[in-house]
Amino acid sequence: MEGLSSKGVLSHLSVLAVQTKSRRNPPQQSTRVKELKAEAEALMMRREQLKAEIQTHKSLQRMRLSMDKGEEEMDEDSENSQLLQLMAKHSQLKDLLYAHHLIGGYDIIKTSLGKGVCVSVTTAYEGVYLDTYNLEIDLKPVLRITRHNVPPFIPLNELAEQNNIQTNIKAFLDVLSQHLNAHAGRKQQLKLVKERFPSVDVMESNVLCSILVLMFTVPRQKTAVLCTLNYSDHTRCLPTTVHIQCEGRTVSTDNQGPPSTVYNPRLCVMSMLSIRTLKHNKFKCPSFIY
Amino acid sequence: MNEENTEEVKVLEAQIEQLQAEVAQLQRQQQNNHKDMTFNFSGQMQEALLYLCGQSVVRTKEEVVSRLEEEVKEMEEDLKRQTQMNGINLNSCTTKTLQSGDSQLIQKFCVSGYCSELNFLVEFQLTEFKNQRCQREISDLNVVMDATDLKSFNGFLLNVEEHNDHLLFFRTLRTFSDRCDDRSRTFQHLQDKYPSIVSLPGGCRSEIMTLNHPQLPGCVLFIHWSVDVSSEGRVTPKINLLTKIPERVLQLFPSQTVGGAAKFFQSLLRILGPEAALESVIRAICP
Repeated sequence: MEGLSSKGVLSHLSVLAVQTKSRRNPPQQSTRVKELKAEAEALMMRREQLKAEIQTHKSLQRMRLSMDKGEEEMDEDSENSQLLQLMAKHSQLKDLLYAHHLIGGYDIIKTSLGKGVCVSVTTAYEGVYLDTYNLEIDLKPVLRITRHNVPPFIPLNELAEQNNIQTNIKAFLDVLSQHLNAHAGRKQQLKLVKERFPSVDVMESNVLCSILVLMFTVPRQKTAVLCTLNYSDHTRCLPTTVHIQCEGRTVSTDNQGPPSTVYNPRLCVMSMLSIRTLKHNKFKCPSFIY
Repeated sequence: MNEENTEEVKVLEAQIEQLQAEVAQLQRQQQNNHKDMTFNFSGQMQEALLYLCGQSVVRTKEEVVSRLEEEVKEMEEDLKRQTQMNGINLNSCTTKTLQSGDSQLIQKFCVSGYCSELNFLVEFQLTEFKNQRCQREISDLNVVMDATDLKSFNGFLLNVEEHNDHLLFFRTLRTFSDRCDDRSRTFQHLQDKYPSIVSLPGGCRSEIMTLNHPQLPGCVLFIHWSVDVSSEGRVTPKINLLTKIPERVLQLFPSQTVGGAAKFFQSLLRILGPEAALESVIRAICP
């Protein structure tokens, strides 16, 4: 009897062992399968989402293109066409407003319940955006500038009076923009000269950047040349007169006149070249001048 | 049972690999589309996009639509204000993204519009440097305008394109357009007032106005009103009086009167301004 039951126990034990083993292995695999199934489903959802987004983008693109051309939208039958058109319009308006800002618009904003406005004047020189200046203007009872960050050397109040700010804000802003941009341009030119030509000494300059005195040395002859640039027209970023002194002799050029003399700091070389006559053609124009 | 599971696992793994490849390809496609025409999906636009892609659980269609409508209305009013203040009408602005990274964002803009009667198409590349104090730069500026009577403008355009002075372009365009409008308004007004004397052979937007003496058909006075633009962007209107008078008529009049007409006109111009000066000349022809 004992032998039979011990055999029975042993075989029972071995059955249990097999059962346990077989119980242990399939759970591992079915967990793995579950994981993989979940991952696959997530990926499928992501795929469908991307497809929907791409489809929406395509529809929007199509609508924007025809909207930009000014074409009338055909009434599509899809249930979301109204929403899509609205989205296309939204994006078009947003782009147009950004464009106004990028091309130097005044970014006018109403303030104080319509009693005032806030404007910004953007400055740039040769594609580089520089400082932006802001003005807060009260419209009622009388038009006047309440706050601004325009530097003091720009005659803000004078310009406001001279350009009839009361009747024509736009004209005033246009003139102000001219002054600010010209100043920004002159300042930027000075900065570039200092950066690119460290051997050139800036002897004198003022905050308005309307006078600039540069000293540079001709490389081979070791002669010092003093160059004075006068910007008497503050709405321009090009000099009106240039004086060049070298060894006591002076050459000066006037740029009061209109277009015939295209003056450009780049073409300052033209006046530099005139020094050749002083130095009997031995003077080589320093490559510094652009 | 183990073998079956291994099979299933293999099948699933292969499926996942396939799906990953599909998703990656779709993502690439999406990025390219975005670069081709860049939309800004933020705020209400993002809500709308989520709704359309079945992702939104928070908003209903009505909510999404009404919020978007509200924003659209606000932006339309804003656009009117900007257009009025800036003096420039924009028809379209398309954005392409060329490069979008941590250090910089490079986009290409194509802006079309008009300023009074002058149409323009301006393309440029805008680079935003994200590290340095929001530095922005324009490059590759390209300006296209209708060719008609813009010869004086061409030198300026070339200069502006070379130096990427896009703000200067728009400032100058506005001023140039204002001066052209002054001219066309004056010409039109004078023609309406004195139709028998004044004629505009090129239309009121042209540079020439001719004054014919009703009794002396061979004698014509030409007013040449040009609006010059220097390459620097300075806008200068110039008005000149030119006479075309037959030889035998000239003999009848003392030479100073006719020859000095041009100079006399310049003085008139300085004292009275363009419109009054022109009107005086017309009155002198036919009082």
